[in-house]
Amino acid sequence: MNRFVEYQIKIFCWISGIALICAIGILLAFLFYKGTSSLNLSLIFGKTRPLDGLFLNTEVIDGLFPAIVGTLLLILTSIIWAIPIGVAGGIYLAEYCNKKWKPVFNLMLDILAGIPSILVGLFGFTVSVFLHKHLSEHIYPCFIISSLALACLVLPYIIRTTEQSLVNLPFFIKTTGLALGASRLQNILFILIPYNLSHIISGIILAIGRCAEDTAVIMLTGVVAMAGIPNSLLSQYEALPFYIFYISSDYNSQEELMRGFGACIILLSICVFLFALSYIVKRKAAMRFATHT
Amino acid sequence: MPPIHRKFKSMKKIKIRINDLNCFYKKKLVLKGLKGEMEEKAITTIMGPSGVGKTTLLMVINRLYESIPDCRAEGMVEIKLDGRYIEVHKLPVTTLRKKVGMVFQVPNPLPMSIFKNIAFPLKLSGVKDRKYIKKKVDQALKDAFLWGEVKDRLNDSALELSGGQQQRLCIARAMIMQPEVLLLDEPTSSLDMEAALRIAELLKSLKEKCTLVVVSHYASLTRRISDSVLTLENGNLTK
Amino acid sequence: MKSSIEKFAEKGFLFSAILSASITILIFSFMVFFSFPLFKRGDIAAFFTLEWNPYEGKFGIVPMMVGTGVIASIGLLIATPFGIGCSALISVFSRQSFGRFLRKVVEFMTGIPTVIYGFVAIFILVPFIREIFRKGTGMCVLSASIMLALLILPTIVLFISDAFNSVPKSYLDAADSLGATHAQKLVYVIIPSAWKGIISGLILAAGRAVGDTLISLMIAGNALQIPKGLDDAARTLTAHIALIIASDYESPEFKSIFVCGLILFIFTTMIVLVLRLLGYFKILRDR
Repeated sequence: MNRFVEYQIKIFCWISGIALICAIGILLAFLFYKGTSSLNLSLIFGKTRPLDGLFLNTEVIDGLFPAIVGTLLLILTSIIWAIPIGVAGGIYLAEYCNKKWKPVFNLMLDILAGIPSILVGLFGFTVSVFLHKHLSEHIYPCFIISSLALACLVLPYIIRTTEQSLVNLPFFIKTTGLALGASRLQNILFILIPYNLSHIISGIILAIGRCAEDTAVIMLTGVVAMAGIPNSLLSQYEALPFYIFYISSDYNSQEELMRGFGACIILLSICVFLFALSYIVKRKAAMRFATHT
Repeated sequence: MPPIHRKFKSMKKIKIRINDLNCFYKKKLVLKGLKGEMEEKAITTIMGPSGVGKTTLLMVINRLYESIPDCRAEGMVEIKLDGRYIEVHKLPVTTLRKKVGMVFQVPNPLPMSIFKNIAFPLKLSGVKDRKYIKKKVDQALKDAFLWGEVKDRLNDSALELSGGQQQRLCIARAMIMQPEVLLLDEPTSSLDMEAALRIAELLKSLKEKCTLVVVSHYASLTRRISDSVLTLENGNLTK
Repeated sequence: MKSSIEKFAEKGFLFSAILSASITILIFSFMVFFSFPLFKRGDIAAFFTLEWNPYEGKFGIVPMMVGTGVIASIGLLIATPFGIGCSALISVFSRQSFGRFLRKVVEFMTGIPTVIYGFVAIFILVPFIREIFRKGTGMCVLSASIMLALLILPTIVLFISDAFNSVPKSYLDAADSLGATHAQKLVYVIIPSAWKGIISGLILAAGRAVGDTLISLMIAGNALQIPKGLDDAARTLTAHIALIIASDYESPEFKSIFVCGLILFIFTTMIVLVLRLLGYFKILRDR
């Protein structure tokens, strides 16, 4: 390898790095340039008075408030399903599963983690069609279907995080409790999980972020452009990512477009916040490990 | 005898000169104001308690300390190359490492065949002539007392050799560019007694080709083969 | 008494695990179940034709398959060299200053919602491409591929730089002590050692590229044709599913999306199996 080729390799790598940073920089700069001008309370509440809208006295029609509430409620209900099942499943795979079945479970979960999100949405949609035909005429794609579908989407991540955090514990931690006479369940609940709680929590926070940003699943399972605050589990609802998508293809005025940019900034802030939170929690976990080893 | 002749008789040729060397690892001072000299075409052994910085000292000589994060060194380390003393920081680091070879405590063959391992430095220097490469590899294997054992399996993976053989392979690989200095960090501590003795004999034979600086634990090995023994203590190299 | 709680807990954990695993099976079953009537009627061949025109009874999804293939491949083609370059920068050439910063930026990128990439692309990239090609709307294969490349870049970079970092230190020490330059170390020692990780990262990214919906939905133009050039609009299988869902659910139009879903599912399964063969999952679990 002569000097010239080495030099070219080095230059190319540097160009890649700089190009990437420029691309993201342009993206963020553009977003903030266009969007900050619309960041004010009327973006969220439209023409309604903020306090009225907040306490649900009046409906907010031309603001982002319903979408924001929709997203937050969606996240909340999805993780209510996903966390218990995910953590329990992860515990099973890490502690109780026998060697024969483990590859099967792992394969199923890896496939679930890998399928395009729109297929999960399609699944949710067909479930609602199925229920509509055979259970009750009133069931349409709606809030609860969306939250179940989102739960399915993030389940593999929570299971994997929980399983990994339990499997990678040092030997002496795993056996300390047992040596003291704890039962298997006590060992798991009182020693192993608390030891690695931050790792599990950071995985959950990432799952929350995934719920907040996903558009494909909710598009097929009940989100609409105009629905106000959902007043029942079976009603349709709004969400931020879908609002952004909808505006991009169908905006009627400059003002609406600016609202779209504002919505982007809000969504980005939520996701970045969650991401940073998960990072901080994971760092705390790493520091704990450093002092223990 | 005239006084001048007496002076010439006692003048040793010094290959490496170290003056006022300070080395920091994460703000902690590991080597303090270190001074020392290593004689040309001789085996200098550095001994000392564990953790005192012997390996760090070796790594300063070939500037490998630069690849340890949070490690800094300042001071003067000079090596006599082509008749002149050159400070190690003034040379391009890749040139320096072709003149100053290093053998590690745990042998580190690359995941390639025996032949390719030893030929690797030639590849780095852009040598393409196959006949020349074969000649140099064979010679390096002979110099490292490894030729007889591997001559029929040069294309086998180097990772399949025994510990002692791997270490001799690493020595052969380090010697192929005919470096002027060879640094060895406890080269036998991961080997059994018989392999260690073999390496000791090997090092003695290498003395006439280059200057050797060995960091060592085993007192018996050191006394047998070295020309001078320095002890690293409190930042000083003493005899 | 205690042991009955134990047994109950264990059953509970088992139930959760089975529930989760069965979701995958359920999804697969639904796809098959709803496309089955078409298999039976022998109409399935009709789906693998070239034209999609519901009013004429033509339901060929080949244009969408080609659309997915083309956009994902070009996206991967663009992303791979930059991805390897960035990883090399992070793990080899600039471990301390710029490389660390670059890695943080890439990690940050994984938190950016896809819909935002699409939204910004519509207002920056699409007009730009429109200028370059001087025809069309700018919503075409090239725009979608570029944005897709940006989307999958973090996956590639993080994965490959982790693979680079797992090369045993003894190899790096050996190369350093022999006077190898960074570029030589990269080409002669690091890449040969880490090739499995590199391939796994690329396959993983390919899976993401094929499975993404929003980028192609928002930027590729959604035209029902086989794209013949970079400036042609195209539609992917994923975007197709999203678009058709609006129609009524007895028509063959509707049932076609299940065939699309089945294709995507099988593709994902194949990727998972290939990654297993490469030992990717073992690496992931050992980390």
